[in-house]
Amino acid sequence: MTRIPPALIRAKRTDRFMTGIITMGGFLIIAAVLGILVFIGREALPLARSGKSRTNPSLQVAPVAGLLADESGKVIGLLRPDSGVECIALPSGTPLATLQDGPVRPWKQATEPSSRGEFAVLDQENKLFFGRLNWEKPSGDPDPTHWTPTVEWNGGMPASMDTLLAVRALPPSGLATQPSYRVLASGKDGLSWTEWSEGALTWKSITIPELQDTTQAIWSADGAHLWAGTRSGNLHFLSMEGEPTLNSSLAFGEPVTALGFVLGQTSLLVGGEQGKLLACQAIKKEDAFLLQWFHQFEKLNGPIRGFKSSLRDKRFLAWSPNHVVVDHLTTENRIFSASAQDTRHASLSARGEFIYAASSTGELRSWSMDAPHPEISAKVLWGKVHYEGYEKPEQVWQSSGGTDDFEPKLSLMPLVFGTLKGTLFAMLFALPLALFGALYTSQFAHPRLKNIIKPAVEIMAALPSVVLGFLAGLVLAPLLEKSAIHVILLPFFALLAACIVAPLWIRMPKGFRLGWGQGRETLWLIPAIFIGLGLCIVLAPSFERIFLGGDFRAWLLAKHSITYDQRNAIVVGFAMGFAVIPIIFSVSEDALSSVPKALTSASLACGASPWQTAWRVVVPTASPGIFSAIMVGLGRAIGETMIVLMATGNTPLMDWSPFNGMRTLAANIAVEAPEAPVHGTLYRVLFLTALLLFALTFLLNTGAEVIRQHLRKRYETF
Amino acid sequence: MTETLNIPPRWRAFIRRGSAMVWLSGAALALSLLMMVGLVGYIAAKGLGFFWPSSIVQVQTSEGPILGEISAQEKAHGTDPAKTQFRVCNRDLFGQDYRWVPSADIQDPQRPADAVLVERLENGPFIGFIQDGSSGETLVLRAVDGQTLEIPRKHIVRIVPSNALGVFGKSRVYASRLWEFVAGDPRESNTEGGVFPAIFGTVMMVLLMSIAVVPLGVVAALFLREYARQGWVIRALRIAVNNLAGVPSIVFGIFGLGFFIYTVGGTLDQIFFSQKLPTPTFGTGGILWASLTLALLTVPVVIVSTEEALSAVPRSQREASLALGATKWQTIWNVVLPGALPGILTGLVLAMARGAGEVAPLMLTGVVKLAPSMPLDASFPFLHLDRKFMHLGFHIYDVGFQSPNSEAAKPMVFMTTLLLLLIVLLLNLAALRLRSRLRARVGGSSF
Repeated sequence: MTRIPPALIRAKRTDRFMTGIITMGGFLIIAAVLGILVFIGREALPLARSGKSRTNPSLQVAPVAGLLADESGKVIGLLRPDSGVECIALPSGTPLATLQDGPVRPWKQATEPSSRGEFAVLDQENKLFFGRLNWEKPSGDPDPTHWTPTVEWNGGMPASMDTLLAVRALPPSGLATQPSYRVLASGKDGLSWTEWSEGALTWKSITIPELQDTTQAIWSADGAHLWAGTRSGNLHFLSMEGEPTLNSSLAFGEPVTALGFVLGQTSLLVGGEQGKLLACQAIKKEDAFLLQWFHQFEKLNGPIRGFKSSLRDKRFLAWSPNHVVVDHLTTENRIFSASAQDTRHASLSARGEFIYAASSTGELRSWSMDAPHPEISAKVLWGKVHYEGYEKPEQVWQSSGGTDDFEPKLSLMPLVFGTLKGTLFAMLFALPLALFGALYTSQFAHPRLKNIIKPAVEIMAALPSVVLGFLAGLVLAPLLEKSAIHVILLPFFALLAACIVAPLWIRMPKGFRLGWGQGRETLWLIPAIFIGLGLCIVLAPSFERIFLGGDFRAWLLAKHSITYDQRNAIVVGFAMGFAVIPIIFSVSEDALSSVPKALTSASLACGASPWQTAWRVVVPTASPGIFSAIMVGLGRAIGETMIVLMATGNTPLMDWSPFNGMRTLAANIAVEAPEAPVHGTLYRVLFLTALLLFALTFLLNTGAEVIRQHLRKRYETF
Repeated sequence: MTETLNIPPRWRAFIRRGSAMVWLSGAALALSLLMMVGLVGYIAAKGLGFFWPSSIVQVQTSEGPILGEISAQEKAHGTDPAKTQFRVCNRDLFGQDYRWVPSADIQDPQRPADAVLVERLENGPFIGFIQDGSSGETLVLRAVDGQTLEIPRKHIVRIVPSNALGVFGKSRVYASRLWEFVAGDPRESNTEGGVFPAIFGTVMMVLLMSIAVVPLGVVAALFLREYARQGWVIRALRIAVNNLAGVPSIVFGIFGLGFFIYTVGGTLDQIFFSQKLPTPTFGTGGILWASLTLALLTVPVVIVSTEEALSAVPRSQREASLALGATKWQTIWNVVLPGALPGILTGLVLAMARGAGEVAPLMLTGVVKLAPSMPLDASFPFLHLDRKFMHLGFHIYDVGFQSPNSEAAKPMVFMTTLLLLLIVLLLNLAALRLRSRLRARVGGSSF
């Protein structure tokens, strides 16, 4: 038996070890690289998930006249006509405090508290009070038993009211320091309202015949308008500045039983006796208001009793005596639905996470809801949606606005459109130049010339896109603005110059043509292009003066009403085309060069000219390769970020005009991602667009690669 | 019919046999090449010309005298008359650096020999005359409209009496300005001074990226080429890795933001830096995350070129090694990898070139317009991977597009662009040379 030397054993061991390491490492690296797709998908996935809700154990409390939900979901205030405002902890139901100050109990009437927690009370002595519940929370203390509730009472003056309908607090105006309160009431004489401002109470009745059978009424946010719903099924819109006047009306179709606003106080929800639920808005058009129903929701079971809106987004709660639902205004989707017998009052926490409903017997039911992205649906992303303030459904991208109650508009269509538009213009510019350039280089160029051109173009492929973007945005765009007409006319003048050079060339002696021309045509054409450029510079201003009245942009605006943006699609087309030319050139040149010599030789031997051979034999044979070059170029153009970011105004328009800008998917990520809150809706939508870009470019490139491999195999048979 | 269209036979051949089309396709190539050469030439001319001291011209106009460098001239266009743009500087006195004057209004151009351009630390350069240079502390300057200005000498970068300088003197000013640009700190929100922090940031980031990308790429390529069983799975994987190079860089950027910064960085912060929360340490953009993101972006480049190099190592060499009793790993380590080294280097250089030129992913992962401190300095632990950094490409974007005074900043951007372009083109050229040497060696070997 021979002894194995220890060095050999060590070598064997190292070998096994390294095999393991590299196999595992390689596998892990490739998995990690492909894991990018998984991660991006995972970040976008929650958009597709519908909301989840959980029923919490219900509590038994005394009958209430209204619920005041707190943002935390840990406490709730109950309006109790016989004992005041009672605060309890949730979910245990432990009583925290009962606030008995203010109105004399038992109260005669109380309004349904508004979404912001304001309510009006008519007490035993017919005095009118306005209240608002506040929680004092020591900062960072999560224990609700340490929190102190107080009710801020205002008013307290004698008033004679029939049925209290709704209360609205108006922010202090002018010199006033305190908010003023307005309350609406209906009676046998029709509608009346009372205003409490700076300690004084004023009472006004509204004598408009149409409002005789008013069942519900509500003030607009600024107090300048009033909405009233009637038993006869109409919705009236009144101007309240000066003498009340009826502005316009809409037919609802069934007796109106509830009115309420969505966050932002512009969309009015209208609920009917049969459970019909619509949203309405008034759009100011010149001097008049255009009233329209602009969202329609699934019906509820039974007459709708009231609405509460979230204070964070456009979702709202609606309830009927046996049905509690949460819908989202923009998507019209029902996020939450529960049947709850004998529901009298309900409430939604500010963030819309908790839902409470109280029955006539005092049973307090509650649910928690987890719907992180209710504003997203397939229709919002891809279809037309009727947004607040818009006259008709549209596709809009506007992710954020100046105010907290802004309705995000997250349609991807303008971005996809912008991407396609940019790509199209880039391709229009790049394809002819790159493909013909590649054909020339591969078939006709002198080998010495070819050896210079190919690497030069390859290096150009590495040109940083920020450089191209900078040139496009700060040099080309102003230049084009000044001399758009030059650029439009340049191709024609270049052709003209070629027509001048060609006859000269034909007249050259044959020996010169063969010796100096073949394979070097390109070099001879450079002066021709310069001549064309010179002609263009000399003649274009006269052309502009004679045919376009001296100013191309003014002519464009006057004749075709097209506005000219400085950073427009032509600029992007140029710059992005520039970025794409080397790629298309290089890939298609490879394909054209590797067409087997046997084919071209056969064609030439049969008497075909070099061009005939190139056009009829080489191009058709290499066409899959050329196609794959175009696909690779498309992939690059679709994902290009910096050029588009710098060379367009990044306005998400949907307009094919070459003189307008656009916003592409890629540039949109660069613009919005730094500002998008983590795991928010915008953040996830941006990941969705990244996924889209990834998938699109990956498919294009894979397709191109498969075609190329196929082609390589075919050429091998020669 | 044929008589009226009497085409000479030369022409007929020219058109029918397709020579015309050959010329046309030649024209496409000529146009593409011209544009590319023109682009680089334009940037070079604009950037390099900026540092050359130009003459200071004094003219009389109806609105008083103007003293400055002529920066642009525009011909009459439509109803607009011909205009001349002067770089008058003196931002603190006149409110603007540039001024357009109708060319017809210009009279009596002169080049006063005592006119100077004073580069200052604040408010941009000053163009005027030296009123009183006797004090060692301050310098009293007089603008062309008679206003005087006293500035401390330590705020003065250099005084250039452009009209009095000869070619040699101008060259010295040029060299000193160029040195300041490459080695100095930026001033006046990046529109003046140098770009040293941006150069440093770019180099640092590319180096960190290289450290990450080489082992990753080489191990993956070794796995794909030497260890994995070749079959359709590996073929599909190879295509997938290949195509990852074509995925838009911004997608990698948002991946870096979501994964490295928010997921990994956020977790690191909670474990190691919880005392600093809610101020993030690694949970915000930084040079480490930017480099790793770019490493992911460029790893396909390294994989592809390493694989190519591995497959180019002659079979006979491996077989010789194995026949001598070497294990597979010994063969790879001693024979294959050294043979493939130029290919690996080519991949690395290409990756560096790509990495240096990318901006979009950096915008999401940690680049800033003005970094207060460099990622590498004398304070412990010397290398600060969590710091934000400056980058040449982002410098171009920021100064050119976000700067309030973009007209004054334009020449500076051209210079930065030229610098970035040079770096990227030189790296690519190096890769090209490496590759051709590799090919020559493999092709010319006698195995």
